[in-house]
Amino acid sequence: MKLGTKIVLSVALLSSLSFASEQFAMSDSDRAMYAEMLENNPADMMVESGSELLSYMGGDAGLAKYLGVTEDELPAYIAGFPRYIKKFDMVVGVDQVLQAMMRDGGHKPLKLKSGNMFDMSAYVKSLANDEKINIDVNANPQMKEAYTLGKEVFETKRGGRGLACLSCHSSDVIGSVLRTQPLPDLSAKGVAVAATWPAYRMTKSSLRTLQRRFQGCMKNALLAVIPLGSKEMVALEVYLTDEAKGATIAIPGLKR
Amino acid sequence: MSTLQKNMMISLFLGASLFATDYSSVIESPDATKIIEKDRLAPATAYKIPEGCISTDPKAIARGAYIFHNLNGKKAKMNPPAGLRKNAKGKNKQYGNCVACHNIEGAQGGGNIGPDLTNYSGIFMESKVRNNQFVYQKIADSRVDNPNTHMTVNLTTKLFNEREICDMTSYIVSPK
Ligand code: HEC
Ligand code: HEC
Repeated sequence: MKLGTKIVLSVALLSSLSFASEQFAMSDSDRAMYAEMLENNPADMMVESGSELLSYMGGDAGLAKYLGVTEDELPAYIAGFPRYIKKFDMVVGVDQVLQAMMRDGGHKPLKLKSGNMFDMSAYVKSLANDEKINIDVNANPQMKEAYTLGKEVFETKRGGRGLACLSCHSSDVIGSVLRTQPLPDLSAKGVAVAATWPAYRMTKSSLRTLQRRFQGCMKNALLAVIPLGSKEMVALEVYLTDEAKGATIAIPGLKR
Repeated sequence: MSTLQKNMMISLFLGASLFATDYSSVIESPDATKIIEKDRLAPATAYKIPEGCISTDPKAIARGAYIFHNLNGKKAKMNPPAGLRKNAKGKNKQYGNCVACHNIEGAQGGGNIGPDLTNYSGIFMESKVRNNQFVYQKIADSRVDNPNTHMTVNLTTKLFNEREICDMTSYIVSPK
């Protein structure tokens, strides 16, 4: 039934957005729909489904226990991801924690790119709603290293057009227009990216994670797309989460 | 297959292998180092504009205009003019998407990250503020005169060949 609802929604979105797909402009009707969706984010449903999936592994209590915190401490703890977790000896996002938790619970871990994983990650991150991002990139050498790597990946020019993330997301171009799209400020002063993903993307009619969004920019700008969960991807997430540090988490976000 | 295994198969997370491993093989963490290394932009390269590069032939200008205004073969509007290659694998060619950042005569949805190139011949060429070599180099590898540029690199990356850069240059410097 849930899937049915999803499909109906996607079709509705598709038919109203497809005319705008070429240049990604936000027309008046897009804007009207956006306003309506702000009231009723289609991703709420997917977050709900993520909650159901987590319940098979003990729900919030199970997750808190797995992470070694109390249920009360859980929201603030989630607000600090990606984190270095000693047991894994890696800096990980919540999706990767869920993979380990699935395995330890005797389940085959979901793929990072699966829709169910996006739903679950969105739910887990939404537990931190109203908390402020509290990532600590100086917490340990591993986090320091991830931050440095993330900044480097962000600034590395590559791909068919020789662009870096920084080419379009440095402070001197924020607000300039690329093909009718104003370039967003990815820091806490702007859209506070890390506080608003996972988000529902109207142009994709689906819930997407932050790393999945990075892949979108890579693809559009002709940078070779790097895989979800790679050290470099997690590092990018660390870097941009630190940029949004202090921003209040509000998940699921709603994006064009 | 045992009943236990079958039950696990239909459990939520489809199946479970029972041998234990360390987390590096449980948690997806593929290596992207090589992808990035291979994809890295080569150092800034200076180019000399080829002999006979700039043309007033309407066909060359039409090709330049087409590359300038379009993104790729799949999304490109109308058919490309004669003489525009597809890429090596026969897939749709990526075009310049220059209007993403530049306004110019007839641009639809032109951006403003780069300077407005409208009336380029009148403002920049006739006044001799710019010349063909400058424009060619700018499109081929913009880093040569501006190391921190946000402009795309088009010849060093091999996204375009000399002829295509010449077509684009011809288009930009032509009176419109
Ligand atoms: C050629 C320009 C360009 C490049 C290069 C680029 N981006 Fe973007 N990016 C954009 C534009 C334009 C948007 C806003 C599009 C929209 O509103 O849908 C955007 C949006 C985003 C967003 C979503 C912001 C939000 O609203 O939540 C993230 C995150 C992001 N970019 C990260 C990256 C990363 C990481 C890279 C490099 C791997 C990158 N971008 C490279 C142009 C670019
Ligand atoms: C991601 C943004 C972006 C894209 C895409 C882009 N440009 Fe630019 N362009 C710039 C910026 C920024 C400048 C100014 C900075 C500089 O000169 O390096 C510039 C400068 C130029 C200039 C020099 C103008 C002058 O007289 O100073 C020319 C010519 C030009 N671009 C042509 C092109 C062409 C042709 C394409 C497509 C193949 C293109 N641009 C794509 C951003 C872009």
